Amino acid sequence: MHHAFSFNGDDHLLTLSRTTTAYCLHLGDEVYAIDLRNHQDDTATLVIGEQSLEVVIATQGDEVFVHLDGEVYQLRYRHPLERLAASQAGNSEDAIRAPMPGSLVVVAVQAGDAVVRGQLLLVMESMKMETTINAPRDGVVHAITYEKGQTFDRDAMLISLLPLAIEK
Amino acid sequence: MNSTLADWPFNAVLVANRGEIAVRVLRTVQKLGLKGIVVYHAADRATLAVKMADQAIEITGATPVAAYLDAAQILAAAKTSGAGAIHPGYGFLSENAGFCAAVENAGLIFIGPKPAQITLMGDKVRARNFVEKGGFPVAPSAIEDDDPQTFNARARKVGTPLLIKPSAGGGGKGMRIVRDLAVLDEEILRARSEGQRYFGDGRLYVERYIENPRHIEVQVLGDSHGNVVHLFERECSVQRRFQKIVEETPSPALSAELRNRICETAAGIARSAGYRNAGTVEFIFGPSGEYYFLEMNTRLQVEHPVTEEITGKDLVHEQLRIAAGEPLGYTQAQVTAQGHAIEFRIYAEDASRGYTPTTGPILRLQAPQGEGVRWDSGVLQGGEVTAAFDPMIAKLIIRGRDRSEAIARADKALKDTILLGCKTNTAFLRRLIAHPAFVAGDVHTGFLDANPQIAAEPELSAETLRALLAAAALSTRTLRDGADAVLDLHAAIGAWTN
Repeated sequence: MHHAFSFNGDDHLLTLSRTTTAYCLHLGDEVYAIDLRNHQDDTATLVIGEQSLEVVIATQGDEVFVHLDGEVYQLRYRHPLERLAASQAGNSEDAIRAPMPGSLVVVAVQAGDAVVRGQLLLVMESMKMETTINAPRDGVVHAITYEKGQTFDRDAMLISLLPLAIEK
Repeated sequence: MNSTLADWPFNAVLVANRGEIAVRVLRTVQKLGLKGIVVYHAADRATLAVKMADQAIEITGATPVAAYLDAAQILAAAKTSGAGAIHPGYGFLSENAGFCAAVENAGLIFIGPKPAQITLMGDKVRARNFVEKGGFPVAPSAIEDDDPQTFNARARKVGTPLLIKPSAGGGGKGMRIVRDLAVLDEEILRARSEGQRYFGDGRLYVERYIENPRHIEVQVLGDSHGNVVHLFERECSVQRRFQKIVEETPSPALSAELRNRICETAAGIARSAGYRNAGTVEFIFGPSGEYYFLEMNTRLQVEHPVTEEITGKDLVHEQLRIAAGEPLGYTQAQVTAQGHAIEFRIYAEDASRGYTPTTGPILRLQAPQGEGVRWDSGVLQGGEVTAAFDPMIAKLIIRGRDRSEAIARADKALKDTILLGCKTNTAFLRRLIAHPAFVAGDVHTGFLDANPQIAAEPELSAETLRALLAAAALSTRTLRDGADAVLDLHAAIGAWTN
């Protein structure tokens, strides 16, 4: 069965199989014999064909963090249903997400307000700097998720506009 | 020096702070045999400071930050725990003259300067005027308070590029560079709003911005007997968003003569203020060797460890001695330095996305080790980095016999730093110190903006991607179970056909 991991915004398809001696990673038409040997000190040796790499791996839920040669990489297992949903998602301009964690300092509009492209919607604060969030298009404000002063994580939905189809 | 400890007016110290600096202060307090107490908000319950303190007292607030700004709760905690002195760390209430006075009025000792010295140096305008009157160098500027009606016009006259700062500010908060006078009025409004929010004070101050300047600061120590010494300079020019990210000493920019001059200027400023406590005099340093007073921080500085590493002085111990009324006990000539030290601020942030903060659990944490490696941190594996506080996770301090040895050790230590669960800047810092300009010591405060490729995520090789996917596949239960099940099926079929 095909599985996918997202990394830096892209989905990467792969298949994992097993013989009596090793796991096999299938990437496209290529197949690599792989193994992961965990050591007592939380480190591990990742074997790919003839190559051995020292890694430290941690997982939480669907997230996989890999420390390799001084760099840390974050991958995310993509559930088949999630991939399906993403391919059918609505216009991304309907939802405005937080570019970084922070808190709201100004809420300039309320649900039901008609706004024009470029109009100030919110001012957020992060890293001691203010960032303004403007309307990406003309539309009507559907909902505002947070109140002034509340904090949020990156990618949290801050404000949504009514989808164009519903508006009409 | 410990022989006089019995004469000290306190034997228990409350640290009114959190994170790595609370740990740093507790370390010296406990080493001296004093009782170390911390206050903490529930969000910090799983941190190292709370774990290592002899006593930890929970405080509450509308937000976690508000708890650490609540003087009444902190004073009450000091009373309950029998603390005779309060160490404010940096940030929070460390430069709040009202808090300092309240501590003294409660009959406790504030490990810091006198309230009047905080008032003098805490306000940029007042500090600048004081320094200028003393005959020390300051940059061209316009001060709103002089005449609010004409402020915008006078700001215009300072000329571009100019820098807008909140009068009550610090740490880069609310500062804005203006290169085009057409946006001056608008930027003044935004800076005022930020100043109002962070410091409850919207008054502003504008000064000529020196292009490609260095930030050089000098550590000073003053006791309550009128003695002042400097402990040399720190170069803090590598900054992002006006905030220091790498600090080192000695500065690669200074000749022996210039070093002596700038350090003596700082000591002179502290002396003229009758300064008591550890303090830092910050200067802006121009390409042709000119320097101007920027501000004085009347507290322990984030980057104080590099000074400790080359002078062998424990600055927290010095602060405690001074607060206890002891004289410094040494002269300027007796303060010596050896080797080179560099500090790296390990931040939970994504350099490739404009240094935006990241959050997440700390699933694995392994501090680097080795000769000349010091790790000052307040977080523990199993803890969490949240948006509630500043995203600094730790400070990595590296000492070497010279700068190139320190850089080489730093590269290895950064590579060996393992922190999984939220993105940090360690890989970015390695790219930074490998840059030829950094290696040559040829940096300025706009260096990272001028070299955005350092922050950019490097291209990933097909080989690395393959390794990551292999690691991810073998670490994900669903995939492994699926692969194992198919093998078991084959095995079962094999057994049956036999």
